[in-house]
Amino acid sequence: MNVKKINVPYKGEALDLKAGDLVELNGVIYCGRDAVLPHIVAMAKEGTLSEHEIDIKGAVIFHTAVSCAGIAPTTTSKPEIEGSIVPLSEAGAKFHLGKGRISPETVEGLKQNGAYFLITPPVAALLTAQMSECRALVHPEFGMEAFYEIKVTDFPAIVAVADGETIFSD
Amino acid sequence: MLALDKVTADVATAVVEASSHWREDQLACWRAACERETIPRAKWAMENFLKNAEAADLHHSALCDDTGTPHPFLEIGDEAVLPAGFLPAMEAGIRKGLNDLPARPMGVRGNELERISQCKGLYDEPGMLMPAPTQIRRIPGKKIRFTILMLGGGPEIRSRTQPIFHMHSLEHVIEEMINWAVPQVAALGCQPVTLSFGLGRTAVEASSLSLEAMKDGRYDVQSEIEKRITDEVNARGIGPIGLGGSTSVLATFIKIGNMRGSGFRVVSMRPNCCMEIRKASREWEAGV
Repeated sequence: MNVKKINVPYKGEALDLKAGDLVELNGVIYCGRDAVLPHIVAMAKEGTLSEHEIDIKGAVIFHTAVSCAGIAPTTTSKPEIEGSIVPLSEAGAKFHLGKGRISPETVEGLKQNGAYFLITPPVAALLTAQMSECRALVHPEFGMEAFYEIKVTDFPAIVAVADGETIFSD
Repeated sequence: MLALDKVTADVATAVVEASSHWREDQLACWRAACERETIPRAKWAMENFLKNAEAADLHHSALCDDTGTPHPFLEIGDEAVLPAGFLPAMEAGIRKGLNDLPARPMGVRGNELERISQCKGLYDEPGMLMPAPTQIRRIPGKKIRFTILMLGGGPEIRSRTQPIFHMHSLEHVIEEMINWAVPQVAALGCQPVTLSFGLGRTAVEASSLSLEAMKDGRYDVQSEIEKRITDEVNARGIGPIGLGGSTSVLATFIKIGNMRGSGFRVVSMRPNCCMEIRKASREWEAGV
């Protein structure tokens, strides 16, 4: 399978990714899940993300905890997680990385904002080996559920939703 | 006399083994399914899962970052004697195992009301994740057998325990079980799964039997009904992490308990995620 390598945060021209494309991400990505993502959405609406060194334009939001057990995607369809996808796309996030299906409304919201939903197998032992740096940016008191910035190399994923199309069968 | 420090040490290694190691029957099933897969992206996912299992086994590290909630299961011989302090020693072993792995620190701080909203945050120590209540069964002989099962969060969102009105038809109940499984397997995101079912008289009994089915289940020993459920869900083509493909379910484990004279059976279903069944056992001689 052909793999498209993407440097993130993505600052280039419009991407022409299709549902089913295999990608590898290189660069800095953000990690958050149920506890912290509603706070990040609120900050995006208030325009205060930059006060926490968060550059949302072209960013990857990885739905994961970050802990001594490593990283791996959690279920994206949990309400506090899926509820962050459209507002963070409106704020400029380009990729949302998780696992499982998302609703038609979220698929449409991604399309409206030219953003993508990626999935990756929950292979913690492999994914954690692709991570080289890590720091908590927002709500460190949430522990594993804080908002983290991590650096990844050749981080594998598949485009699950692009331009209103999904890889999931009915 | 069974030494309590040995219990603690053995339980700790069982927790690490369960969290980092796939058993031979499990691996053989995965390899065969990967070999059969013809859709390239589905095969890519399956290969990643197998590489992950190899890496976790090599480093004794977590298969998944959701290391799960420990569910202890004890089988106690009719002639076995449990020494005083056995259960605290077992619980100390679970705590040590979670710290040794290390597991994800998921223990929630606070009193019983504060724990619901998680408003006091989490413990930093992985071992502060308390185990679920211990299941107990009796077995013949003088042994005590301990099994730890590590149950992740995703499957719990998709689990279901409800009555099925059997209409005096086994066929009807099986069809309902398949109808339950299909949408939950599709929605899980961690396919291929295994399915565990407990059938009993009450919700509590059925859930307990579903856990027992996980404890006893082997991927290479499948009854006709188990194989039928696996095949019928696989025919829907959901595939690894929902990418389409021939394997959405690797195996099905069913435990049927006692029934009562009534028009319903309580069925508990859990779609166990791709990293499960995470389990390991230890046995001790505990005669007088």
